[in-house]
Amino acid sequence: MNSAPLTKESGYEVGDLPEHSEKAFPLRKDFWQAMLYLLPSFVLFSVFVFYPMFRTIYLSFFLTDYDGMPSVFVGLENYAYIFTSDEFLKSLRATILFVLITVPAGVILALFLALIANEKLKGIGFFRTIFSSNMGMSVAASSVIWLFLFHPSLGALNQMLSTLGLSQVEWLLDPTWAIISVSVTTIWMNTGFAFLIILGGLQNIDEHLYENAGIQGAGYWYQLRRITLPMLSPTMFFIVTVSLINAFQTFGQVDILTQGGPAESTNLIVYSIYREAFVNYQFGTASAQAVILFGCILIVTILQFKFGEKKVHYQ
Amino acid sequence: MKQSKRWGLFVFALFLMVLAACNNDTGAAADNEEEDTASTEEQSNTGNAETGEAAADDEATEVTFWHAMGGGPQEALEEIVADFNEKNPEINVVPQFQGTYDEALTKFRSVGGSKDAPAIVQTYEIGTRYMIESGFIEPVQTFIDNDDYDTSQLEENITNYYAVDGDMYSMPFNSSTPVLIYNKDAFEEAGLDAESAPRTYSEIKNAAEKLTKKDGGNVEQYGFSMLNNGWFFEQLVYTQGAYYVNEENGRSGDPAEAVFNEEAGKNVFTFLDEMNQAGTFGNFGSNWDDIRAAFQSGKTAMYMDSSAGVRDIIDNSDFEVGVAYIPHPDDVEPEGVAIGGASIWMTNSMDTEQQQAAWEFMKYLTTPEVQAEWHVETGYFAINPDAYEEALVQEEYEIYPQLQVTVNQLEDTTSTKATQGALISVFPESRQHVVTALEKLYQGTAPKDALDEAAEQTDRAIEIANRSNQ
Repeated sequence: MNSAPLTKESGYEVGDLPEHSEKAFPLRKDFWQAMLYLLPSFVLFSVFVFYPMFRTIYLSFFLTDYDGMPSVFVGLENYAYIFTSDEFLKSLRATILFVLITVPAGVILALFLALIANEKLKGIGFFRTIFSSNMGMSVAASSVIWLFLFHPSLGALNQMLSTLGLSQVEWLLDPTWAIISVSVTTIWMNTGFAFLIILGGLQNIDEHLYENAGIQGAGYWYQLRRITLPMLSPTMFFIVTVSLINAFQTFGQVDILTQGGPAESTNLIVYSIYREAFVNYQFGTASAQAVILFGCILIVTILQFKFGEKKVHYQ
Repeated sequence: MKQSKRWGLFVFALFLMVLAACNNDTGAAADNEEEDTASTEEQSNTGNAETGEAAADDEATEVTFWHAMGGGPQEALEEIVADFNEKNPEINVVPQFQGTYDEALTKFRSVGGSKDAPAIVQTYEIGTRYMIESGFIEPVQTFIDNDDYDTSQLEENITNYYAVDGDMYSMPFNSSTPVLIYNKDAFEEAGLDAESAPRTYSEIKNAAEKLTKKDGGNVEQYGFSMLNNGWFFEQLVYTQGAYYVNEENGRSGDPAEAVFNEEAGKNVFTFLDEMNQAGTFGNFGSNWDDIRAAFQSGKTAMYMDSSAGVRDIIDNSDFEVGVAYIPHPDDVEPEGVAIGGASIWMTNSMDTEQQQAAWEFMKYLTTPEVQAEWHVETGYFAINPDAYEEALVQEEYEIYPQLQVTVNQLEDTTSTKATQGALISVFPESRQHVVTALEKLYQGTAPKDALDEAAEQTDRAIEIANRSNQ
């Protein structure tokens, strides 16, 4: 199976490939074989990913009627409109701000929890369960819990502040606080998953490395910096990439907590797409926004792989 | 290499087999499904028989009814439907709750015209023009004509809203208007007359000033609040005799632009802005339950609510609740209010037998007895004024005299193109822009700027809708 050139002896007996093509393109057979293996995923991706994607791009050049069917071809007008509309630029800014708040904070929190839960103590299993427990909660359920905490007149958070003699905060009604509130909810919701993955990564690190380091007298922080983090980097890379993509695609908590308000401060891009498509029934502009979101995620992911991956240490 | 090729073939064969198996599976699954539906039908039939609706067994015409009534109104509605089914064994109305008005309309849009569409769908007033233009509905006027149904028995102010170019497209069902609700105990505490509620903008502002209670940096009780919902803004514009869109509120032609940012709209925004600046206005967001909770817990002393919420509020507040007419500017003679709420629509995706059954149900809903029950259970108006003469209503008025205020306000309304309410197809979107404008206003944007932006966005929405739906 090395890189030995294909010869007739090692070739296929299948007669469906014409003789001459085999000579002219010795790699053909391998190619078809590979295609065969790829076929199942190719079919599935085509139906559920590629077709919808091209349809979205197609729709973004049209206005749609009440039935959601493309009716007027408008070229790039939808794109021109959203890039000049304050609303969309605001939602783009809100999304970037949201990503910048939730991703680092969420990952660092999960890393911290995983590090302390990785210590071998009695009853640590209890804490591991607790830290990952919110993974089992749906976005809707967790958002509703936070909605009660943030409630303007009966919310527990404001009552706590009152008891402490501090002035109350308009959690979801003040634009600045609203984005923070939604971010806090999101961080809380995502921690369970990130925690579990990072903990798994930590447990995969070879014990001998620590034993060795211990014998040589390396302290906790030195071990953390020189052993744990480098060995954990593939896991961290995975978690950061997934969190970034998730953060860009946040929807549920926005829908339940703020509906994009107040004054559009939490109108994250996916929510904005939803509203444009299913409330305003403008699939054209919604599709244009979706294409731009796709571009944003693509760029961030490419940058991630280009610069982030260099720091990843694969064993 | 030979090995690998054989494997390739093997995998391919396996793949084919899986595909074939999938086909079989789908077939089998479909068969099962049919069986399942059949057995559920059997079950529901036996269920009916057991509950004594023996005649509803086989030929009962099924009428699905999509509605958006949650909480108390849902219970009241389901009771009414159950009564109807019992009285009309040949018809089986199936009420299905579809979430808020917005959600119900969104769902209807995606199934409209198909066989999955319901027979009857409840749609809020601002969806009226969309529904007419959608092509998914059968105007009830057809049945009114065929049946010689007398629409003059219905409340005129309500039928005015739903009559477009003289034709009734849908049957009014649950109608409400906005009212000012206030805490009488708080009024007395602040030295105000609890029996005569403030009405003009300056009266409201003065009262709000006196009612606001502060404890250091925290406001314990705001003077005035309004839900961030476009509906209240629209009403405050209409009551000044002004329009929301041109072409006389869209009543005499297709509207092309929003006019709510003119004089009347500015009055409303300035009124809210002044109180907000003075710190006497409490902002409790855009959720109905939140503002009601704020009022019940004494965080705000006056607020605007729908008449449909009056009864719940009175029941759930541990202080005296007053209900009054909505505010108006000092120098404007108020014209009253426009109808809010919803009407029920007949869809065209079913056979005539079902339509006839749906029509029977619609007629039943408008009878005085049903409307009396509906009115006292919920606080929605009786669309049939005869209902107010029913003993049931009179008894309830003894206990809840406030309910009568809501009825009086509607009856005092002068019917004009303004108080008929606006008709535009992109109303849900426009309303969203007004909500954003309100939120910006409370964050310190100048009233004029906030309003103009909302009007501009509404104009664009109208323009796009016109271009794409020719």
